[in-house]
Amino acid sequence: MDDIDAMFSDLLGEMDLLTQSLGQETVPPASLPSTNDNVNLSTSYTDLNASLNELEDTDLDALMADLMADLNESEEKLAAQIEDLKGPSPPPSDLPPPPPKGPSIRPASSLPSPTSPASSTSSNVSTSSAASPLPPPPPQATKPTKEEIEAQMKADKIKLALEKLKEAKVKKLVVKVLMNDGSAKTLMVDERQTVREVLDNMFEKTHCDCNVDWSLCETNPELQLERAFEDHENLVEPLLAWTRDSENQVLFQERGEKYEVFKNPQNFYLWKKDKRALKEIKDKDKELLIQENFCGTSIIVPDLEGVMHLKEDGKKSWKTRLFQLRASGIYYVPKGKTKSSRDLVCFVQFDNLNVYYGKDFKNKYKAPTDFCFFLKHPQIQKESQYIKYLCCDDAWAMNLWVTGIRIAKYGASLYENYKTAEKKAAVSSVWTNRSTPSSSNPSTPSPTIKAKSPNQANGHAQEPQPRPVSTDFGHVPPPPPPLADFLPPPPPDPFRPPPPPPLAVKSSLKPALPHRHLPTNFPPPPPAMDNLPPPPLPPKDDAPPDFLPPPPPAAGFGSLFPPPPPLNSLPLPPPPVSFRGVDQSLPPPPLDAGFLPPPQPMFTGAGAPPPPPPPPPPAAAPKPALRPSGSVKKMPPVPPKRTTPSMHGGGDGDFMSELALAMNKKRGLH
Amino acid sequence: MAAWDLSVTVEDLGSDAPPVTLSVASDLHVGGVILKLVEKTQIQRDWSDHAIWWEQKQRWLLRTAWTLEKYGIHADARLVFMPQHKPLKLGLPNGTTLRLQACFSSSVFQTVMGVCRMLNIRHPEELSLLRPVEEKKKKKDKDSSEEIYDLTEVPLSSASRPCLYNGMPAHFADSPQMEAVYKMLSVTQPPPAPEFIAKQYRAASVVDKAHINGRWLDSSRCLMQQGIQENDRVWLRFKYFSFYDIDPKYDVVRLAQLYEQARWAILLEDIDCTEEEMMLFGALQYHISKVTQSEPQMLSSSAAMDDLESALQSLEVKMEGESSSASEMLENMTAPDLNDYLKIFRPKKLTLKGYKQYWFKFQDTSISYFKSKEESIGEPIQQINLKGCEVAPDVNVTAQKFLIRLLIPAPEGMNELYLRCENEQQYAQWMAGCRLASKGKTLADSSFQNEIQSIRSFLAMQKTSSGSHGNSPTNDEGINTHSLVSPRYHKKYKAKQLTPRILDAYQNVAQLSLTDAVMRFLQIWQALPDFGLSYVVVRFKGSRKDEVLGIAPNRLIRIDLAVGDVVKTWRYNNMKQWNVNWDIRQVAIEFEGNINIAFACVTADCKIVHEFIGGYIFMSTRSRAKGDELNEKLFHKLTGGHEAL
Repeated sequence: MDDIDAMFSDLLGEMDLLTQSLGQETVPPASLPSTNDNVNLSTSYTDLNASLNELEDTDLDALMADLMADLNESEEKLAAQIEDLKGPSPPPSDLPPPPPKGPSIRPASSLPSPTSPASSTSSNVSTSSAASPLPPPPPQATKPTKEEIEAQMKADKIKLALEKLKEAKVKKLVVKVLMNDGSAKTLMVDERQTVREVLDNMFEKTHCDCNVDWSLCETNPELQLERAFEDHENLVEPLLAWTRDSENQVLFQERGEKYEVFKNPQNFYLWKKDKRALKEIKDKDKELLIQENFCGTSIIVPDLEGVMHLKEDGKKSWKTRLFQLRASGIYYVPKGKTKSSRDLVCFVQFDNLNVYYGKDFKNKYKAPTDFCFFLKHPQIQKESQYIKYLCCDDAWAMNLWVTGIRIAKYGASLYENYKTAEKKAAVSSVWTNRSTPSSSNPSTPSPTIKAKSPNQANGHAQEPQPRPVSTDFGHVPPPPPPLADFLPPPPPDPFRPPPPPPLAVKSSLKPALPHRHLPTNFPPPPPAMDNLPPPPLPPKDDAPPDFLPPPPPAAGFGSLFPPPPPLNSLPLPPPPVSFRGVDQSLPPPPLDAGFLPPPQPMFTGAGAPPPPPPPPPPAAAPKPALRPSGSVKKMPPVPPKRTTPSMHGGGDGDFMSELALAMNKKRGLH
Repeated sequence: MAAWDLSVTVEDLGSDAPPVTLSVASDLHVGGVILKLVEKTQIQRDWSDHAIWWEQKQRWLLRTAWTLEKYGIHADARLVFMPQHKPLKLGLPNGTTLRLQACFSSSVFQTVMGVCRMLNIRHPEELSLLRPVEEKKKKKDKDSSEEIYDLTEVPLSSASRPCLYNGMPAHFADSPQMEAVYKMLSVTQPPPAPEFIAKQYRAASVVDKAHINGRWLDSSRCLMQQGIQENDRVWLRFKYFSFYDIDPKYDVVRLAQLYEQARWAILLEDIDCTEEEMMLFGALQYHISKVTQSEPQMLSSSAAMDDLESALQSLEVKMEGESSSASEMLENMTAPDLNDYLKIFRPKKLTLKGYKQYWFKFQDTSISYFKSKEESIGEPIQQINLKGCEVAPDVNVTAQKFLIRLLIPAPEGMNELYLRCENEQQYAQWMAGCRLASKGKTLADSSFQNEIQSIRSFLAMQKTSSGSHGNSPTNDEGINTHSLVSPRYHKKYKAKQLTPRILDAYQNVAQLSLTDAVMRFLQIWQALPDFGLSYVVVRFKGSRKDEVLGIAPNRLIRIDLAVGDVVKTWRYNNMKQWNVNWDIRQVAIEFEGNINIAFACVTADCKIVHEFIGGYIFMSTRSRAKGDELNEKLFHKLTGGHEAL
């Protein structure tokens, strides 16, 4: 046993080093220009320096500034944590209700703590808590035996080690995103981030109106293509397919066609009808169409049929064919055959293909019209016989086909994405509306406002916190209430928004953040929860936000959230469960944040498990597991951006030095 | 009042017995008649289910308080005194036949409700009864030994929801035989023999399909009124293709039967699909039958267990979440080694080079190759990442040819590459590895062994089917692929030609659980363009030729019979009203925008068309908010026609 333990602590130590060198975990803040660079140590061929060299000096400076800011913050935090270390540990044991901790983290931390300070503040805390004999957690009825605890701790250690290993493999890219006005923002994107998360990030950076049309698009000048990434896709993966010398770009722009099918479903599902009639269609009928086609047991693809011009197999000529779209692929009617299903010949299926808009193909390929789209494997970056080009008679037909193909390929995800985007848009508009009043009148019950204003139109409660909801429709309803509860912690009355406006803002931010962690992080096994004392381990990520505004020390927690106990005590409706978990996890964060290079990672986040006493674990747990869709940052402009994002200071060291090196080199060259 | 003689045939006395004659007056109520009748027969028994059937008028005298005069009964009336519930042979979607007590005196709608209650099928409004297609009489003697599951002992309960015992309605838990019946109901049937499929009646054209819809019984009238006699055979089928609130937990029987109906619709080409779709349906059937065989069949989810079950489920979810961190990652670190000498060949224009042998090594999602095993420590000659690539088999077991064809994406296009394996074992492993890698999974993935297994069993299929022609499926390894596709493909492909195609589709579904696989099957079925269409041949007002009306859950379509093209579509939500002129048997519908259509029905009674339209409108009114309560009144109002008024 001891050997194993020793081994693990070694392993953990190493891992920490590794993670540190990787650094920069996350996401939010950093945005810089750049091409795609693969920061990942292990995998990518691209080397960071090279990519950095390609950056404009100004971009570099900006990136640097961003990163430095993060670093500083994290250092401060770290310092704060260190101070706290001694102090805070005892409290956790005393406080029964406090934040449930990710069990796994604690034990793990206990081991490595000496070796790797970076590992996590929480670890330290946890150690202490572990030491305290009886964890006071109310929820757990059964007391784990010592063996169980040990076993659990060991399991947790293993898990932590593995997490770190995995973390070490996470790829990150510095992505330069071009704006409409020709300027550019640069972001650090990690391979686990979805396009939705990156978009949210961009919203924060740009103060745009956050409407659902905002998209990230890829362009490839060589193929003259354009494609808006779908919100659920991971951004890094397609970017990795770009060639080293590619002039591809990522654009941030509004694209009306992205969700047009949900705004005007009749244009897609009733396209055969007279166009004027389609314009006059009632909202009620639109809803019905969406209901019929996207909310049933099966997603229904518009039944498109039409003649298109095809160029394939690397040939130069265009030939016409009668095509049909079905859920299983695109088919064509062979010459001399009927249109009956059994005679159709499969043209493509969508498993390995994406659909792209082609630009100016009339010139390039002598296409009959400029309304072209094509299908190719995402990795193909140059002209190839494996690309299938299709040309429609008009823009209307082209949009029909491209959208139809997207529905067939992505199915329910598309609608989920739309709902998420819509919520996002609603929330942000709320925020903008609300920012004035809140400042002037602190007492305004922010929660209420939110609840009412935003998307009513759509019929859902808009949750103030956009993100939690993001994917899981089921989630939606529950979130709002919790928020409400959450905000006004001090007063017994849940609906009263006592907290001063600024606070409110922050708090709202936090919940969101944690939430995302929640899902991502391990859903701790119930037993684990029992074992663990309830020491407050803050999810690292969360920590920063809370943390920043207030003084770093633990105090922050207290001052900010005096109400935590009340929170618990409040009779919360069941749905909030997951939320609660969040809340609790929030308070403790201050310490940890600094330390770990908090990879957003799923694993590290301590907060996730909903240990909160009241909630029945099962309910809460499953959901997160289903969908980690977290959005990284969610909140709108209000919050101080800088602060939020940077949480990972610790790990940055190596990265920073690399960056500095690169800058020097580059400057040297000039 | 003057007394007169009324004669009533009492069924229980036997068909030869003379009618019982009673002396009655016109103001005697029906209850009194029954009382006299029972006294006269002098038989002691429970008569409570009995009622009087008036043969000439084809109606039940169910209102016992009504007098004979009110019913208009005179001495010449032929009355039969008999039970309202009688045995009925019910052909289920899965092809089996049940014998059970059904109500012959209430509307078919209620009869179906009763049957569904007994069988534990929720949402009986989606089902109905239809007269079976006459079987070809030729082989009748041979098939007469058809197994019939007998449920006649089960009393009809009136509880709206049966209490569950061991996950099944309590009446199924009484005896092992009953349990077997429930199993038959709730578990999907093994793939049928190809000969059996070929023997079934297949609708060859839209008109044939339209004729089938003429067989639906009238929901607002009772079985007796529609000429269905005791022990007659009728089919129970899903009629309205609008399946509400399917929940695998509560809908075990419903899902199984729905799957069976869908499967047969595909196999018999009641609904058209493309070849690719057929292969996918075949793969799903294969998977479902395989999983059914290997899984414990009875999902016990008794009510008492429900809580526990849900607790366990959430635990599972947690564990899964967990496993994505711990155990899965552990596995990642302990991926099995896969390396061997294989031969590689790159087809290129103008090169005639053959296969060259190298030492191959699988790592994560890549394969690397080296000159020899000894040199495998150094730099590989090439490393190929298989993520996102296309993998296709090129195998001929009898010729001992085991090729894996890879299409590997690169910025310039796809690179084609063949790997040649020496034997089955090697092929199965490398093929499995390539398939996983193409989906971005490593050998450490838990599905690796499964994948190898399924590749081997498909190889085995190829062997058996090439050895003995078209054998019916016997052992589990040897499912004849002809059992999984419609007869059209029996002619088009040999079984062993089908195998690789089905295997190809199979790789995308091999990981599904039983329930998920069934749901996927249903989803793909529902996504077919012609899904949910019930056809009727009609003649539109002002038109001289027959045309086809397709009735779908959300719309009506007009189809040109000659060409098969959809001429026009009308959606129900634009419908203002529809009327049936029962005298001239014409259906008239008015849509928004002053669109009026009218047609007479050729292959089905206009009541059937009326019921379809009203029924679908009824289906769309269901909503969770209203709970589970079935609004029978509304259904009859929408579907009943003049009789309902």
